[in-house]
Amino acid sequence: MDLLVKKILLVDDDIDLLEQNKLILENKGFQVVTGESGSEGWSLFQKEKPDACIVDLIMEQMDSGFVLTHRIKKTEHGKNIPVFILTSATYETGFKFSASTSEEREWIKCDGILHKPVVVEELITKLENFNPKTN
Amino acid sequence: MNETKGKILVVDDEKGLRIGTQRLLEDENFTVDTAENGEQGISLGVASDYDLAIIDLKMPDVDGLEVLKQIKSVHPNTICFIATAYASYETAIESTRLGAYGYIPKPFTPDELIYQVEQGFRQRQLVVESELLKKERDENLIEIASEKSRLNTIIKAISDGVLVINRIGELVYFNTAALKYFDLDSLSIGDSALIHLPAPIVEIIKKIYSPDQALQKTYSIQLELKSNNELFVESTCTPILQNDKSIAGVVVVIKNITEFKKIELIKSQFVSMVAHELKTPMAAVQGFLNIILDDSISIPYDTQRDYLVRSVIRLKSLTDLVNDLLDISRMELKTKQREITEIKLDEIVQSVSQMLELELKKKGVTLITHYEEPIPTIKADANEINRIFTNLISNAIKYNKDKGKIDISISHSGSYAVIQISDSGIGMKTEEKNRLFQEFYRAKNEKTRGISGTGLGLSIVKKIVESYYGKIEVESEYGSGTTFIIHFPINTN
Repeated sequence: MDLLVKKILLVDDDIDLLEQNKLILENKGFQVVTGESGSEGWSLFQKEKPDACIVDLIMEQMDSGFVLTHRIKKTEHGKNIPVFILTSATYETGFKFSASTSEEREWIKCDGILHKPVVVEELITKLENFNPKTN
Repeated sequence: MNETKGKILVVDDEKGLRIGTQRLLEDENFTVDTAENGEQGISLGVASDYDLAIIDLKMPDVDGLEVLKQIKSVHPNTICFIATAYASYETAIESTRLGAYGYIPKPFTPDELIYQVEQGFRQRQLVVESELLKKERDENLIEIASEKSRLNTIIKAISDGVLVINRIGELVYFNTAALKYFDLDSLSIGDSALIHLPAPIVEIIKKIYSPDQALQKTYSIQLELKSNNELFVESTCTPILQNDKSIAGVVVVIKNITEFKKIELIKSQFVSMVAHELKTPMAAVQGFLNIILDDSISIPYDTQRDYLVRSVIRLKSLTDLVNDLLDISRMELKTKQREITEIKLDEIVQSVSQMLELELKKKGVTLITHYEEPIPTIKADANEINRIFTNLISNAIKYNKDKGKIDISISHSGSYAVIQISDSGIGMKTEEKNRLFQEFYRAKNEKTRGISGTGLGLSIVKKIVESYYGKIEVESEYGSGTTFIIHFPINTN
């Protein structure tokens, strides 16, 4: 794999899903660090400087994932790495998770939405296609 | 006796003629009253509404023309004949002027009399009938007039906005509510409605007036007149069709549906939460199974088993969630029939703690009870009270420390039973405490990690307590424990 991404930060308050995704990504050769809340995710991001982040949407608050993504994307390091939001909230379940207005999208600045349960192939394609210059 | 054809008054001072006329007319099935002089004639003729009167012109006391005048002034529809042997041109004119229908010259033959009477009687029938029609028409007019003002009052009073727009888009009617919805200070009959109304309504009105008959129907649209859910209206536009199917105008009714929209929003948010909460455990189970089935991931047997155990736990929580949801929906729909019985609170505590014995043992938690005598009894549905204690005691176990303690005390305060359930557990932060009874809210922090729950338990407890007009409060200190206090009304009778 010629991916630039080696270390991935996974943030999810559901410990089962967190463990599953860690296992799957490690099996694909990534190094994975995990956090269980928005605040833990933020301190891990600063400490570990990951090459990509996958952040659960609903954690302590309904929008913890959006807030964490926003904070990551505001940093110099965060600007150049892919940050994905992971959620089981979808259009069908009525959440406006995709952030309907352009101002909201502009504020969050996430690089894509992934649905639970995550399909690794889809994730890897997204990581491969990520080009920081176009963002 | 045959049915009477009508009522006739005969006024004549000549006895023979009076009696003869009476007999003749009675043979023809008329009812006949007689008066032997003018004065009697007036009093009878005024007292009741005769169909016909035959009045002798010359009488010693009162003149026949005076009798005619008096009767006519009270009963203008009584058909009167003047009978006289002294017919003159002047009296004929005078009697006609006073309203006499005809003149019967004396002496007359029975045939002549009956012919005249029947003519008069036909006239009477016409007069009565036309009188009836006139009365009916007058009544209808009064009814229409009052109906019109009644409708006006009703339309002005209703909270829905009503506007009527004619073919050329002019306003022909509106009520004050309509002005209020569209935030207009004033409008006049004849103003162009198409300038003042919101574009989507104008669009519909134009559609209704289009030549395509298929478009000429009633339309309803919902409009957000003030943003942020402040004012939502439903506008219904209905064409008024004339007999030839052409359109006379359009009636626009504006109904405020803001409250309905708010409820709809809350409902859809709740459904979103439910869907999310159902999907999460399913995703976890699916994830574990996918890993076990994935040949490219090799995991030891023990880990596989652990994943299966965790899947079972997630499925169990899914079942709990579905049951909680059903309970909430039953409570809200009130479809469950309550069985109200007398409940001894100590017995409920005992049975619930027995049921939870295994959980208590697993965590090594001791349960201590304090009862104030006499132990209060309440009147309620045993299942619901059981649910309150089960949810609160199982929370007190789940969020307790290992080898912790639960204190349950039951006492009185006025007409309330006071139930306190305290644990020596992890406690809550203030912001967690504030959202505690919210549906699907679960305190998430490093200490609650791994504790399962649906996020509905406490909301169910609160709903039950409040449905019995009781109250639930919570006191908690982060790190040292939580106390739930319930005041439940004691049914004193």
